[in-house]
Amino acid sequence: MNLAEFRRILKQTAILPILLLVIMGGLALALIRQSSTATTALDVSDRITADIIDLEKLILDQETGLRGYELTHDPSLLQPYETAAAQMPQSFQALSEKLRDRRRQPLRLANLRDRYQLWLAFSQSVLARPADHLTDPAADVKGKVLMDGIRDEIREMLEAETRARNIRLEAVRLRQKQEFFVILLASLVIGIVLALFTRNRLHRVSRSYQTALAQISQTSHNLYDSQQKYLTTLESIGDAVISCDLNGNIEFMNAVAQDLTGWTASEAIGRPLQDVFNIIHEETREIAENPVDKVRRLNQVIGLANHTALISRQGKEFVIDDSAAPIRNAQGEMTGIVLVFRNVTEKKRTEAALIAGEKLAVAGRLAATIAHEIHNPLDSVANLLYLLTGEENPEKRSEYLQMAQQELGRTMQISRTMLSLYREPKAPVNIDLQELIDGVLLLLDRRIQQLSIRTELQVVDTATIEGFPAELRQVFTNVFVNAIEAAGLFGSIAITLSKAPPEELLPAGIIVEVADSGAGFPPASIEHLFQPFFTTKGDQGTGLGLWVSMGIVQKHGGTIRVRNGDSEPFSGAHVSIYLPTRSLLHTAPRIAAPPAVS
Amino acid sequence: MPTSSPLILCIDDEVCGLSIRKIVLERSGFRVLTAPDGPSGLELFHQHPIDLVVLDYAMPGMNGGEVAERMRAAIPEVPILLLSAYLDLPPSVAKSVDSTIMKGNNPEVLIEKLIELLPPVKRRLRKAP
Repeated sequence: MNLAEFRRILKQTAILPILLLVIMGGLALALIRQSSTATTALDVSDRITADIIDLEKLILDQETGLRGYELTHDPSLLQPYETAAAQMPQSFQALSEKLRDRRRQPLRLANLRDRYQLWLAFSQSVLARPADHLTDPAADVKGKVLMDGIRDEIREMLEAETRARNIRLEAVRLRQKQEFFVILLASLVIGIVLALFTRNRLHRVSRSYQTALAQISQTSHNLYDSQQKYLTTLESIGDAVISCDLNGNIEFMNAVAQDLTGWTASEAIGRPLQDVFNIIHEETREIAENPVDKVRRLNQVIGLANHTALISRQGKEFVIDDSAAPIRNAQGEMTGIVLVFRNVTEKKRTEAALIAGEKLAVAGRLAATIAHEIHNPLDSVANLLYLLTGEENPEKRSEYLQMAQQELGRTMQISRTMLSLYREPKAPVNIDLQELIDGVLLLLDRRIQQLSIRTELQVVDTATIEGFPAELRQVFTNVFVNAIEAAGLFGSIAITLSKAPPEELLPAGIIVEVADSGAGFPPASIEHLFQPFFTTKGDQGTGLGLWVSMGIVQKHGGTIRVRNGDSEPFSGAHVSIYLPTRSLLHTAPRIAAPPAVS
Repeated sequence: MPTSSPLILCIDDEVCGLSIRKIVLERSGFRVLTAPDGPSGLELFHQHPIDLVVLDYAMPGMNGGEVAERMRAAIPEVPILLLSAYLDLPPSVAKSVDSTIMKGNNPEVLIEKLIELLPPVKRRLRKAP
């Protein structure tokens, strides 16, 4: 039931009783009117009776006056007679009007009038007599008979009227009884109708209420279940999770978080995050910025600085990898901060071992290349020395010596390049990237020659950056070897150095783009290229090259992007290495997002 | 009956080293033909009555192993000596050559090896220095 329906029912339950009461009022009014008509009829009857009695009294007055005059001859005694006689026609008229609607009474009245007229005529005759003959017994008898007739008629009329009144009275009583029953019945019916209707409506409301109640109860149940489910999920998650309110006070922490921080949830909840989540820079031992402050400041998801170590309550130290994110409500307002972190101490150790292993492998591969490079001129020198021992001709001798010197020069150059590989400074130094790349290409020259690969090196501007040369040499060796292998026989490789202007998050730097004419990356492989042990070279690759390269470039504050080219001849892999001009190695930020692959 | 000294075919992409080797071998009484890569080496191999081939392994385009296989397929009797800076050559290569020598050794080792590989008739025709 919705609100509109509920209002409709409310309206109905208000309007129906009013309607029924109006009907009831109308009925009562009609009954009262009927009853008053009946009462009026009774009134009329009473007035008729009174009029008849008045009429009789007037007639009696006349008779009494006449009798007095007869006995005393005193004309003054005729006064009542005269007065009554004057009123008589009026009284008859009034009575006749009242009796107009009656069936038999007008007839009786006419009889009465006739008899009165007879008596009146008799009375006139008495008055007309001479004064000495006023008393006449015979005439008196006649007068008495006439008057008795009048009296009989009047009695009859009175009796008839009384009968009529009684009948009416009976009718009134019957009606009253009927009215009583009608009202009783109507009240009963209305009462029942009202009761049934209200009951029905209330039932509906009540049912809706029950349904709504059940729904609310179900919803709250579901909410509770879902909350429990999420809590359990968070609780069982393999990463440590801590959530804080906007003030940085802990609201929730799961089992892993409790394990790593050494605080139990009951102890930690309500405390400021920095009390429980004590983080420092792994190497500098400086206290790291409170992630809650950082999220509030930046209002976005952040990754914590690289080399973050968590000191537990018991003083144990873990290298952690983590992120912090704002919790937002439906309106997008920040309502808290959630921290997710994991213990990467073991992973870091494994990674360090893998990196060391890959370094060795690279060194091994380089050593083999270098040995080969050195062998050729050494072979020539050995041959020349052999020739010199048996040569008498001074010209020939000096020619051989010169050739031997040349070959030795080549060897020296190679060995110098080799030496510089292992001279690694502690702090970042200025590096001319072009020089560094030239050096790497020189080392790889043999392989490039073998495969008759055409290389183009384009330098747009001076490309000096801060960094660690040996590590970057490793990166470029890796990328160039990949390009050489992909380009294959008679392939070509283009290396372009260009300046990258500063962008929102990236400072100004140099982009080294290496494009080859090979087959490109299999599309499905692109997102895995930077994962350790992923290789597209089968048994020939360790699967660590690009992963280690990415690590080195990220350490320098740069990124590596890979894509497949779309124009000939460089339709193969395009690897872009961005390196910032100013090294970020002093601040050691961590790249929060996975390597951007495009 | 052959009258001239043994004809050696040297194939190496290291042109400088190749020319020095040519002088060394000529001084040792051989006639020497040189080629800077596999295909031109094969051409010379077919044009001339080569007695022995000194082959570099790592060469652009066609490597020494491949060149040796083709020579074997054409004239199996000609001995082939593989000269290389690599320590570990693929096993298939070792099968198609008669012997291998590391670069950078004393040239006398190479000359001794050549004499050893030549058929006895040819050995005697070498004009000792």
